[in-house]
Amino acid sequence: MAYLDLTNISKAFNTVVAVKDFNLSIEKGQLVSFLGPSGCGKTTTLRMIAGFELPDSGTIMLNGEDISLVPPNKRGIGMVFQAYALFPNMTIRENVMFGLRMAKKPKPYIEKKVDEVLDLVRLSNTAKRYPHQLSGGQQQRIALARALAIEPRVLLLDEPLSALDAEVRVALRGEIRRIQTELGITTVYVTHDQEEALSISDRVVVMNSGLIEQIGTAQEIYRSPNTRFVATFIGTANEFHGIVTGENTVLCDDLTLTSDRIRSFINGTRVVALVRPENVQVFDSKPAGDQLNLFEGVIETLTFHGAITRLGISASGKHITADVNLTGRAMLSHHQKVWLCFQPEYCQVMSE
Amino acid sequence: MKQKPSVSQVLLILFFILYMVIPIIATYVFSVATRWDRTILPEGYSLEGYTTAAQNPYFFKTLRNSLVLSLSTVLVSLIIVVPTVYWVHVRLQSAKSLLDLLMILPFGIPGVVLALALVQVYNFQPLSRSALLLIAAEVVFTMPFMYRSVSNSLAAVDISTLTEAAQSLGADIKSVLLEVIVPSIFPGMLSGSLLVFATVFAEFTLARLIVGAGFKTFPMLLVEYTRIDGTIAAALSVISFTVAWIASMLILWVGGKGVRSTQDIVKAK
Repeated sequence: MAYLDLTNISKAFNTVVAVKDFNLSIEKGQLVSFLGPSGCGKTTTLRMIAGFELPDSGTIMLNGEDISLVPPNKRGIGMVFQAYALFPNMTIRENVMFGLRMAKKPKPYIEKKVDEVLDLVRLSNTAKRYPHQLSGGQQQRIALARALAIEPRVLLLDEPLSALDAEVRVALRGEIRRIQTELGITTVYVTHDQEEALSISDRVVVMNSGLIEQIGTAQEIYRSPNTRFVATFIGTANEFHGIVTGENTVLCDDLTLTSDRIRSFINGTRVVALVRPENVQVFDSKPAGDQLNLFEGVIETLTFHGAITRLGISASGKHITADVNLTGRAMLSHHQKVWLCFQPEYCQVMSE
Repeated sequence: MKQKPSVSQVLLILFFILYMVIPIIATYVFSVATRWDRTILPEGYSLEGYTTAAQNPYFFKTLRNSLVLSLSTVLVSLIIVVPTVYWVHVRLQSAKSLLDLLMILPFGIPGVVLALALVQVYNFQPLSRSALLLIAAEVVFTMPFMYRSVSNSLAAVDISTLTEAAQSLGADIKSVLLEVIVPSIFPGMLSGSLLVFATVFAEFTLARLIVGAGFKTFPMLLVEYTRIDGTIAAALSVISFTVAWIASMLILWVGGKGVRSTQDIVKAK
């Protein structure tokens, strides 16, 4: 049995199913992200772990104890909200000590603990201020300190960085991961931002329409998506719709694609082949040798993204996106004729 | 940089101030005037209106009754309205529109009708024609003021999330209410209390029709004097106004900390 076990959790609001047959085991000290579009059930699941929603069916076990029906204030689970939710009438110090006061901890312990967690989020100098006197990023760090002060058994973060600007977001997510690893605290992190989920999680749970699409490490989710939804929601992918014509070939209109990642599809099955833009190589002239998945095309769009340049290439009536690094190679231009190619191992085939 | 107001803006503000202040100044002047019907300014000044009023055996009694009535109404109103509105905001959002609608009713029903209906319905001891019934009636009559103020300040802060944040930190419902919610909406409670206090202190119809002479209030004494001597009635008006004003200042002063926190909330927005 894992540290936190969610078994067959389902929840509906009136007739709308929010979460269905959710099964997940989280080991102690892990950071697991719930990733998905809005309305996919990730926040509802988090709120069920916190106790703010009760599951219609299924059980939530924490450290061997069934907490499915335990009220939120008795669960010992800390939570950080998107809107910070600092108490406006209390100073930062009073905010952080709130949970410890509720737990009726002795005063010297409270003082020591508050100093400790304020130090941890590097905001000891703000103790006497009020929440509105702090920036959004600082407020969220205080919210984190407040949740950590009670030494929760599990830490829940509900889209904690959504309200912040890009720069603060990146800095703070690193901070969250640093603190989480330092304390070894079991953490569930809800986000709709794939980059955020992939960069800080031990494991990612991709959700869609109340169901789990895939659970895996960031690399597994990105490199071997189980479903078309995962493949297109995480990163971008070129989609080729076609039919299976051989052991490892898919015919997509005029293009014959070769893949060594065709699952056992019988000939004639309608499928979709997915290739990530960074796996598409682009050549100015036809490369020598016998290449598989080699097509001729014309550059239609060209957008500069800093490290890479994204090309939109038209090949046999298909629009194919390719990310290339232009450093040290001849410039490409609009309407230029190019050859593009991708290795069979990068072409993943799944049912339509 | 602040812009200078235009002439029309100044005139408009001046007109508004005069419109509000002239009746009050006139009442103050009339209360110390000896005779003021043949000249622009009073012919003479004296404090006789005040001394005569204070000598009335009912003067202090009615003042006390009105204070007790107003404060009790504020208290009962707070106890009923705050938890109700809180629950509606957090747990029963769908009931909010119904409650909003109900809160217009006291404005739509004339005080006379409300008073007579209550007297008919509660025509048994110990409620019949008692001060208790009057307090209950005043609570209903002034509930929109308290409801609106509290409801607005609840809407201004994200009350559900604050509640959940407090719960996740181990707070039970009592601590959530007393330590998080009440301080956050304190400014609203304060302004609601002020409105209720001032309204009940000057309220005549309900008091007259429900208890009558059994629990004489200050406005009842005032109305009696309007039929006898205008100067004394004016003096009583001035006293009534001043008492309500002092009480308001007192409430504001007691809740000084809360008022600062409203500004905090506004600034945070």
